[in-house]
Amino acid sequence: MMTAVGRRGWNLSSIALSLVLALGTGGAARAGEATPKTYISPYYFGHSELSGTLPEVGQRLPKIPAVVRFAADQSPGRHGGTMRLLVGRERDTRLMVVYGYARLVRYDRNYQLVPDLLEKFEVEEGRIFTLHLRPGHRWSDGRPFTAQDFKYYWQDVALNPELSPGGPPRVLMVDGRKPVFEVLSETVVRYTWQKPNPHFLPALAGASPKFIYRPAHYLKRFHIKYADPARLKRATAKQRLHNWSALHSLKDNLYRFDNPDLPTLHPWRNTTRGPAQRFVFLRNPYYHRVDPDGRQLPYIDRVILRVSSPSLIAAKTSGGETDLQARSLAFNQYTFLKMGEKRGRYKVHLWRTARGAHLALYPNLNVADPVWRGLFWNAQFRRALSLGIDRHEINQVLYYGLGTEGNNSVLPGSALYDPSVRYRWARYDVKKANELLDGLGLTERNDRGLRLLPNGRPMEIIIESSGEHTEQTDILELVHDSWLKLGIKMFSRPSQREILRKRVLSGQAMMAIWGGLTAGIATPDVSPAELAPTNPYQFHWPRWGLWFSSLGKQGTPPALPAARRLLTLYRNWETATSQDQRARIWRRMLELHADQVLTLGLIAAIPQPVVIGATLRNVPEVAVYHWNPGAYFGIYSPDTFWIARGK
Amino acid sequence: MFYFFLRRLSVMVPTLLVISILIFVIIQLPPGDYLSTLISELQAQGEDVDQEKLNFLRQRYGLDRPVVEQYALWMKGIFMYGDFGYSFEHNLPVVDVVGDQVFLSIIIAFTTILFTWIVSFPIGVYSATHQYSAADHTLTFIGFLGLATPNFLLALILMYLANVYFGISIGGLMEPHFLDQPWSWDKAVSIAEHLWVPVIVIGTAGTATLIRRLRANLLDELQKPYVNTARAKGLSETRLLLKYPMRVALNPFIADIGNLLPQLLSSAAIVSVVLSLPTTGPLLLRALQSQDMYLAGFLLMCLSLLTVIGMFLSDLALAALDPRIRLTGIRQK
Repeated sequence: MMTAVGRRGWNLSSIALSLVLALGTGGAARAGEATPKTYISPYYFGHSELSGTLPEVGQRLPKIPAVVRFAADQSPGRHGGTMRLLVGRERDTRLMVVYGYARLVRYDRNYQLVPDLLEKFEVEEGRIFTLHLRPGHRWSDGRPFTAQDFKYYWQDVALNPELSPGGPPRVLMVDGRKPVFEVLSETVVRYTWQKPNPHFLPALAGASPKFIYRPAHYLKRFHIKYADPARLKRATAKQRLHNWSALHSLKDNLYRFDNPDLPTLHPWRNTTRGPAQRFVFLRNPYYHRVDPDGRQLPYIDRVILRVSSPSLIAAKTSGGETDLQARSLAFNQYTFLKMGEKRGRYKVHLWRTARGAHLALYPNLNVADPVWRGLFWNAQFRRALSLGIDRHEINQVLYYGLGTEGNNSVLPGSALYDPSVRYRWARYDVKKANELLDGLGLTERNDRGLRLLPNGRPMEIIIESSGEHTEQTDILELVHDSWLKLGIKMFSRPSQREILRKRVLSGQAMMAIWGGLTAGIATPDVSPAELAPTNPYQFHWPRWGLWFSSLGKQGTPPALPAARRLLTLYRNWETATSQDQRARIWRRMLELHADQVLTLGLIAAIPQPVVIGATLRNVPEVAVYHWNPGAYFGIYSPDTFWIARGK
Repeated sequence: MFYFFLRRLSVMVPTLLVISILIFVIIQLPPGDYLSTLISELQAQGEDVDQEKLNFLRQRYGLDRPVVEQYALWMKGIFMYGDFGYSFEHNLPVVDVVGDQVFLSIIIAFTTILFTWIVSFPIGVYSATHQYSAADHTLTFIGFLGLATPNFLLALILMYLANVYFGISIGGLMEPHFLDQPWSWDKAVSIAEHLWVPVIVIGTAGTATLIRRLRANLLDELQKPYVNTARAKGLSETRLLLKYPMRVALNPFIADIGNLLPQLLSSAAIVSVVLSLPTTGPLLLRALQSQDMYLAGFLLMCLSLLTVIGMFLSDLALAALDPRIRLTGIRQK
């Protein structure tokens, strides 16, 4: 049995992920620090504490609070202040769940899973998970956070046919079977599956996490099993909803964070009910983390989210209307933002991004045209296409040479990184590419020098894009020039996302351009689902992905041997019991992908501009901006960001 | 008159019904629905989506049913319960989504119309009475300049200058800290400070058209014999101008009231998007983009209703003001 007690013990655990990113900071400081003896309450609550409306800080914190350990580039700060953020949509209130990043278990800056809301957790055989809550932990309304909240979720939400018609979420099911859920004590719960469940902990730590608990005391009043039927009916009618489950789902949205009445465990709680242009988040008096001196976190009292049209965000940023901004800012605005630094009183930093490819080409293996399908299914043809792309030129022309060239594969910094995989068939080599194409018998050419297809038509590839970014059109222009040297003419066809997707799925689109792997800094424990046909939104094999995700009801089973092999590997990964096994499978899949050139990666690691207000402290300058794992700012703990006094 | 009134009213109902069908069908025409748009949007930002939850939502919102059934349900909700449906994007009944926005839209549109009229009436009259003078040419030139400048470009430039030189926050209708605050004097001042950019931007094009039309109409009238007669009888120039030709020249403006009403709601969607104004224009655009169909449907229905009512009102006004219009035309046939 492996035990993880606090952060320190966790290092010993063998399912820990041992990826250390070369962040330049040398990783987080790990020196053990004892729990502080006394706690310091933020000045913000001084009045409420004096008047007795709020208990004093010692009683608000759990018996054993989580003590933050600062990384080398962070330091203890002071309470107070307001942080302003700009968002593009009202729905973006959910970003406060992403940035707040209070999770049962979370990734630390080295992408290791550590307990956070939990005091500790134990994993046996990869299938028995025992979660220990912090005694005395409270929701933002002061009510205790206990095993009952887990029980409510499991019994009354996940297993309720009206609230969850599809049954419990997939990560809680292994081979279609439910776990055994037990409440061992008021603060200990256990989930036991028949077989290992590698998806469970990462799902809890995700940027958009699976919430396996609910504030039961609040939600019971909307649940048919507990509520007074007449009142429930009135409340439902008042919201113009048709049944109680709709009302329950409306109130119960821990992720979307749009219901100010719903208690939370995050550092800031929402106080604004939509529709609104401005959302005010105030500090959660019962937040469970403290700094080494015993100051209750978060440092910052208020976070204000302002809704603005996304296209104006860069301009507003340069006018100094935000304190922390990366959303809706893109690399091509870097110079503009840099120019505004003085006027807007901020600094721009470039963070690394971690997609396997910023953009990649997806030859549609399910294309309807039989001639093209024949070619796309041929690995030699795909290799020739990849060799014929001048990635270096793309990098220089569009990204000042700051990007990373190569395949759509994991990046340097990932434990799974292997340069030979990243660059296989990805170095510009027109001669070799032409030899490969000649070798396929595509030697006939027309009077314009274009190769002819077996049925006599000239070789013309149409690449479809979502038409949202001119950047894609620019890249395709460069691809067009280099493919012409192979005797292949390329056209780009901007359309619209939904239409593009339809055309790819129906086989009308030959090839699409889209972002690459999201798991660019994967660890062996991150699911390799993206590498196998598991999802209809994978543009190189949508019908095979549909087949898998619909459990064989729609789409067609994978026919290409490589795709079948990848699917088998993925299934093996799911049942693997050791990290070594999982790492081996990951490597095998990456290798297969690179060798078969199933997608054509173009360029990766395009820097993300991050704007940090002049007085905002503890935001790292060198970091990775990534959705999952990472939760954008989340793993850098925005609850430890603070605002320095000054102008 | 009463007959006319009744007939016009009774035509409005089927018109609106036909419009509602058209709206619903057109909103449904693009492939996919709100949820599939949501998926692709989230994925484009690198976020992942919970497939099970989506299937669940699709069922709940009835998005898996045929269009005809969805339309029938929508109509049933409106007529039986006054329920205009549910906004998926905002998680609220649509009526609750459209609140402050209507008010601010009306403020902007009203100010803009006022601005347009105040600027263009004197100029229009002046350039008609002083045709081909230097001033006429200059004013016409400026008017055309306003007509030819793309609104959104002007908006961006003015917004940038306002920020750099006057320190007015970019976009929006008030300083950020007044948002969602109760109404106060300071808030009103802040709105006034922000209002001039959108008003000028939206107004320029309208001003130019108005000047041209007024000028053309007046010129037509000024040639007519009755003007000469009046002048011969010794009527003063101003009195003559305002009392006769001006009145006739105004007819097209009264006919225009029909278009003004819907404008109050939809005022200049593109400019509002560029300037990030909290009006109904961007709301409608967003709803259409994300296929939030009941919200889009509700807004479009409101616009159609206002158009129909506006037309009705301007017909009435014309009938009352212009003695040349006879209500009996059809019955005499």
